[in-house]
Amino acid sequence: MSTSTEPTRSRAGARADRDTHFEVEQFYYEEADLLDAGRYTDWLDLLADDLDYWMPTRTNRLRRQQALSVAARGEAAFYDETRESLAWRIRRFDSGMAWAEDPPSRTRHLVTNVLVRHIDPEENADFTEDDLLVRSAFLVYRNRLEREENVFAGGRTDILRRTPDGLRVARRTILLDQSTLQAKNISTFF
Amino acid sequence: MTSTIEPQGAATPAPRGTLRRPADLARNIDVSGLVDTEGGLLDRVIFTDQQLYRQELRRVFAPSWLFLAHTDQFHKPGDFFTTYMGEDPVIVTLDRDRRIRAYLNSCRHRGARVCRAESGTTRNFTCTYHGWSFNLDGSLASVPNKDGYTEDFSADQWGLVEVPHVESYHGLIFGTWNPQPVPLRESLGDMAWYMDAMLDHDEQGTVVVGGVHKWVLEGNWKLAAEQFATDWYHVNMSHASALMVLAPSGKKPKDEVVHRTGRQYSDGNGNGAGFPVHPKNRFDARTVHEWMDYDALRARLGEARVEGPLTNGHATVFPNFSYLPVNGSIRVWHPKGPDRMEVWAWTIVDKSMPPEVREAQRLYNLRTFGPSGIFEQDDGENWSEVQAISHGFITNGVALNYQMGLGSEREDGRYPGTTSELYSDAAGRAFYGRWRELMNTPAWHEPAMRSTNE
Repeated sequence: MSTSTEPTRSRAGARADRDTHFEVEQFYYEEADLLDAGRYTDWLDLLADDLDYWMPTRTNRLRRQQALSVAARGEAAFYDETRESLAWRIRRFDSGMAWAEDPPSRTRHLVTNVLVRHIDPEENADFTEDDLLVRSAFLVYRNRLEREENVFAGGRTDILRRTPDGLRVARRTILLDQSTLQAKNISTFF
Repeated sequence: MTSTIEPQGAATPAPRGTLRRPADLARNIDVSGLVDTEGGLLDRVIFTDQQLYRQELRRVFAPSWLFLAHTDQFHKPGDFFTTYMGEDPVIVTLDRDRRIRAYLNSCRHRGARVCRAESGTTRNFTCTYHGWSFNLDGSLASVPNKDGYTEDFSADQWGLVEVPHVESYHGLIFGTWNPQPVPLRESLGDMAWYMDAMLDHDEQGTVVVGGVHKWVLEGNWKLAAEQFATDWYHVNMSHASALMVLAPSGKKPKDEVVHRTGRQYSDGNGNGAGFPVHPKNRFDARTVHEWMDYDALRARLGEARVEGPLTNGHATVFPNFSYLPVNGSIRVWHPKGPDRMEVWAWTIVDKSMPPEVREAQRLYNLRTFGPSGIFEQDDGENWSEVQAISHGFITNGVALNYQMGLGSEREDGRYPGTTSELYSDAAGRAFYGRWRELMNTPAWHEPAMRSTNE
């Protein structure tokens, strides 16, 4: 059998190409840059209006009950946010009286292990195959006041929506690799 | 159960089959001069000294009722939750007779933990070191190579060490190592009236949101316990940014929020609770507010409670259990040495709440309290800051001020027990008065002669 033209192959669920990987990585670096600079309001512009931003707690469980080691929706979470609630959290930093960040911490958001696939609309009906399902790893270093140090390591699973203005984070699930949080608070974003 | 404690100076050799612990290992310091409840002064050394800390574990934590878990965490036999009493690891579980029991989470053979999961369901607890296995009732079920022991070995003497008294109050489970405690309800006294404002909205009581927020703080446990007992004062300054965000204008909180009046309860057992009585004193999620049937609540709990501790406030049940009624936040400040604590916080909701109201309460709590909450972020900053500089020799010797509302404590006829003003250190003084009393009182395990294998 032969055809004169290559059939249009569906990209649904397929690994994205090199240019797309580069584009996503640059997007993440821009995000990290804004967060490290404390430019939270500008960071909000990279988030979609229908954002779902979720960072569940994790628990040490017996091996046979590992399925329960990540808190379910509706259970304890460090973040369970909309774009609106993130804006609400961010407004407090502008008050001049948010002592947990005054003087401000020094943070460095590192993002790596970026794996990009096209969305399969059969699995994510709210999205098209132009949108991207991205897994990444992060390491966030925080140094505060004289000698306080925290390392937040974990993984993220995002859905990035392609819009006329560029990529926007529409879904983000953050898994911190800790059960007991090894920090006195979380005053940054991931 | 515990090693025998000898009076100092005694040198009788221990008979075979018992151990004797020399009293020198647990020298006690008279703390009378470190707390001045009349003058409202506190010596900062009580936050930093290692020897005082060890004495706290022996004399404050061991004999007191300590919060363990919520009854809603246990539905079928074998459901378990692991936590701490002081620094002692314990397993709380539902046994085959559906009775909530608690055991020291330490194998009787070589001392490893027999359960290293935080929660779950199991048929037994098996030590991963040598394989000693324990039933849900704490009894020793099996010992590998049992033939290696002599005929004297009796499994019934080597069960898990059980917490002798476990009682619950409106869903909150407490335990104590004290073999002859004042019953829980009696020890709560008038404090129970204030607790009911959060726990007893209707017949159905409360349930717990799945999961526990756990985080570490570089601060002495008393800094947090004391604040939740006595400190509305810090709200306007420490939480200025959060109040601003919550204010309708988004700029600054209304004067009526800042200039609140209210009452602060305290008692001789060290419990404390403060609450504004301004009619518009709510901070909480609108969905929850609109769902509440205030007429029914007034009929059940009375107007004084509905206009006060039901809608807002803070509280500590001595020594280290605290809660925030408006958030449904309940928490334990686990001591981890003089300079560190671990905070474990649960969210509770009324069982009668429909799902969307429960969800509103949960989201409101996680966005305001817990390690990422816009209020609690700043609390963590304060406590670690106080602790960080407390070891300086001169700093450590400068007395702290607990004088607000000195002499204002009285019975006002509206609120049970003794109350002071909303802005007051009265419950702080009572908290440290109770602490001083326990620190200077030999606990049951000190004069008693108990052997390991009695």
